[in-house]
Amino acid sequence: MWLGLWLAVLGLGVGIMVGLNIPLILPHAYAKYLSVAALAALDSVLGGIRAAMEDHFDNEIFISGFFSNALLAAGLAFIGERLGIDLYLAAVVAFGVRLFNNIAIIRRHLLKK
Amino acid sequence: MNKPIYVSILLVAVSLGLMLTLQYRTTSSVEQGVAYGREQELTVEKLQLEKELAHLLDESTDLSAKLEEAGKGYSEAAVAFESELSKIKLYAGLVPVEGPGVEVVLENLPDSTPDRSPKLISIKDYDLLHVVNELRGAGAEAIAINNQRLLATSEIRLAGNHIVVNMVNISAPYRVIAIGNATTLKSSLVIKGGPAEILNERGIAVNVTIKEKILIPAFTGGLRFDYATTT
Repeated sequence: MWLGLWLAVLGLGVGIMVGLNIPLILPHAYAKYLSVAALAALDSVLGGIRAAMEDHFDNEIFISGFFSNALLAAGLAFIGERLGIDLYLAAVVAFGVRLFNNIAIIRRHLLKK
Repeated sequence: MNKPIYVSILLVAVSLGLMLTLQYRTTSSVEQGVAYGREQELTVEKLQLEKELAHLLDESTDLSAKLEEAGKGYSEAAVAFESELSKIKLYAGLVPVEGPGVEVVLENLPDSTPDRSPKLISIKDYDLLHVVNELRGAGAEAIAINNQRLLATSEIRLAGNHIVVNMVNISAPYRVIAIGNATTLKSSLVIKGGPAEILNERGIAVNVTIKEKILIPAFTGGLRFDYATTT
């Protein structure tokens, strides 16, 4: 459990370092998709933490959910953009609601301890 | 069992950090670029400008058509100027002209009587002036003496034994040609008490003949106006 936490912190740090030093900046047109993808990824991570707290954490569900949610959110936003529908708003709302849900449940679990 | 979990946690953490920082950097770099709302604004503006451009292009073609018409008008004006110029040249005597008229030849009669000195009977400048004046009074449109076209500025004056017309010495016989109504011209000269009779009395032969077609040359000298300017 503690190893997992430290690994997560280490991975986050490495990701942040790489992200800050990479000489690549996404064009503004893609920023919207990346933002939705990041939101989905955040939701997945929080979902994973919640699952771990509820002791039914499944590695496959976690990893597949993380990437598929991110890609799906970005893809939906992309398709919505092409069709003139603000589908990324739907993704933002859906993932935002889930995010707050997950945070609330995590908070309750932490408080119960 | 635990190993893949750590791997996936590491992977997810790395990609999450990457995504968040990339997104952060993209968002903070936006301030240097174009804001999202601004893009739409600019698109609207662009559409407006394109509309305006099309409008202006229309106007441009319209105006160039007008310009072309004006150019046509200009060439018409040039033609008008040309004809006006040739008319004025005709009036001024700068172009050769032809038409019906009279030919007047003034010649000293052969000395029949020795008591008359040649000086007395020689044709004087005022004789020519008299003839020319009568011709002008009879409506002559172009006059030349010995092929010297008479202009508004031409002089006929005696200089020694010669008569000078247009700064050119001419001598007898004097051939005055005039274009106009031939009969009027002739009658103005041969009328009783007219120049022909007066000159005849002084022993000068005046021979007036009507011609169907007389060619009067153009003025060939130079014209200079040093003092007169248009007002």
